Amino acid sequence: MEDKMVAEMPWLYTALTAYALATFVAIMGVARTRGGAAGAAVSRSYEPLVLGLITAGVVLFVISLAERWIRIGHGPFVNLFELLVSQLFSLGLVYAVAYWRLPVIRPSAIVVMPMMWVLGLWVLTLEPVASVYPPTYHNKWLWAHVGFGKFFLAFCLIGSGIAGIILLRKLPRLVPLFRTLPPDEVLDHVAWRFMLLALIFDSLMLIAGAVWAQDAWGRYWAWDALETSSFLNWLMLGAAIHARLTYRIPVHVGAIAIIAIFVFAFFTYFGTPFYSEAAHKGVI
Amino acid sequence: MIAVLKRLASIRLTLLWMALLGIGAALSYDNPVDTPVWVLVVPLALLGVNLLAAIITNTRINRRGGLLIFHVALLGIVVLAAFGRLTHMEAHIELVDGMGFMPERLINVRQGPLHSGRLDQVHFIQGPYTVEYRPGMVRGLTHSHVLIPDGAGGWERKVVGDDRPLILEGYRFYTTFNKGFAAVLTWMPDGGQPETGTIHMPSYPLFEFRQANRWTPAGASEEIKFWLQLETGIDPEGAWVLDARKSRGTLVVRTGGRRVELQPGGTVRLEHGVLRYDGLSSWMGYKLYYDPTLQWLFITSMLGVLGLGIHFWKKFANHPWPQPDDGGKRSERDASRGGKAIIEEGRVI
Ligand code: HEM
Repeated sequence: MEDKMVAEMPWLYTALTAYALATFVAIMGVARTRGGAAGAAVSRSYEPLVLGLITAGVVLFVISLAERWIRIGHGPFVNLFELLVSQLFSLGLVYAVAYWRLPVIRPSAIVVMPMMWVLGLWVLTLEPVASVYPPTYHNKWLWAHVGFGKFFLAFCLIGSGIAGIILLRKLPRLVPLFRTLPPDEVLDHVAWRFMLLALIFDSLMLIAGAVWAQDAWGRYWAWDALETSSFLNWLMLGAAIHARLTYRIPVHVGAIAIIAIFVFAFFTYFGTPFYSEAAHKGVI
Repeated sequence: MIAVLKRLASIRLTLLWMALLGIGAALSYDNPVDTPVWVLVVPLALLGVNLLAAIITNTRINRRGGLLIFHVALLGIVVLAAFGRLTHMEAHIELVDGMGFMPERLINVRQGPLHSGRLDQVHFIQGPYTVEYRPGMVRGLTHSHVLIPDGAGGWERKVVGDDRPLILEGYRFYTTFNKGFAAVLTWMPDGGQPETGTIHMPSYPLFEFRQANRWTPAGASEEIKFWLQLETGIDPEGAWVLDARKSRGTLVVRTGGRRVELQPGGTVRLEHGVLRYDGLSSWMGYKLYYDPTLQWLFITSMLGVLGLGIHFWKKFANHPWPQPDDGGKRSERDASRGGKAIIEEGRVI
């Protein structure tokens, strides 16, 4: 059993604390918009603090990842602990950029940050044991595959954050919280924009993964557990985009579809490789 | 004709066939042996027909360049993948150090009915290899040395292994974990010509304690049992390198109730001749893979994504991102601007 306080852990705890504070400040800030007379200007002064805290968290995760990299000699690509920390970093980074550039999505932090916390709590239950780097991972396509996948998941997360607001707004008590935001139809549009971007990166992830699989295991596609699950996820996204173009899907149904796609992606990423013996067979 | 095509191009059918493909993919999850390939082929074929009809008849696709490229690429991928299955070849081969590639030595060959590669043009000679092991017998990098024709009548040295296959005439040779030792033997039959060959022992270190094999010389009544006692430096606790050149092997020969231990160069007299143990060698198990569509699949899928990118770029550029509204008061950037642009004629775009 390894010592729990290995080099990366203090940074990890501080990074998670920064995300926790960002979550708290975001919720308090959005909650404050409830008061005030209709038509009164709403203070959004808390937003820079949220952005600052998320950014601080991202930087701390980078340090944590670097410490671990130095300690065990390879990047965060192998075990669940590494994958989760790496995603906490990249999801935070992409979300921070979106938060900064697109003020309209900022209240989504009250949905996105708690989702991030699911990963955070999960990581806290895991031992930071050193993983073994498989010989087939010395491949540049791994980087492309992982990088595209990170954008895919991040865009799904942002889409889900906005979809979450659409659904929260269904509760009359929560309506005042989101009065700075445009109508549901517009939010729906913005959420789906992110899902369209997600489709591009999902496609790129599958392509880069197939090239890597061809190098690593001598076949580009073999319907192993992870491949099948990620293909189903891609198809689900394509089908949802089509359904939305073909039928007049109510926005809240669209919002549920977005969250379902994200949840499916979540299980594909963090579930399949670890409950299926056969995922990415060559690893063993 | 057009009316029929338009019916075939229905987007409702697209959704139906996508659902069918989803079911087919779910049934193929993790490759169960009893799932027929039809569960994928049928929905893909239906989607292909639907897509082709839509590309021809639906102006919402064929008048929009980026989207058209994307959907044509989707069709292209299905066609290429199908062609790939018809022309592919997969097999395994075990090659001993110093031995040239011979197609007739391929085992577990599976190939599409239209396979027609230039396998007879594939020439290379297997050399020695090393495999790094980390503590706990965890396999690390494999370096397999091969000689390939240099194009000027000579041979060129190349090192392959793991995710760096040897690619010759489109055939890709991947090293595998299946590799081990071989005993080089010369059989000198009484009154006949001597013959040199190898006896492959089971995969090493997987079957470290079963390094045995058997052989019956032509005309002999009794088979010979071989057992290789190896000294390889294997260390289950520490890091070590598997390298036949640095290993030693004593060959134990058992036949007709006799047991003889041979060192390299040693001989034993048997019923119909003399057997000489020339020395220790190694064999590497390769997986062979051939599919002429690989680079086309890559190009087509990248073009498809590019098309999708162009489509979204245009779409997004036409409609600015909406801005938040500061509680009823217009923000400095006209909060509803984006909103209005996005909801055109009551339809969200
Ligand atoms: C296989 C049969 C398919 C057919 C017949 C088809 C047909 C169409 C048509 C007609 C449109 C234009 C719709 C409109 O703007 O109203 C469209 C758009 C689109 N299709 Fe497909 N498609 C097929 C498969 C797919 C697949 C497998 C995907 C991806 C997974 C896909 C992704 C898209 C996307 C992303 C758009 C653009 C959406 C947008 O602009 O918001 N399509 N398709």
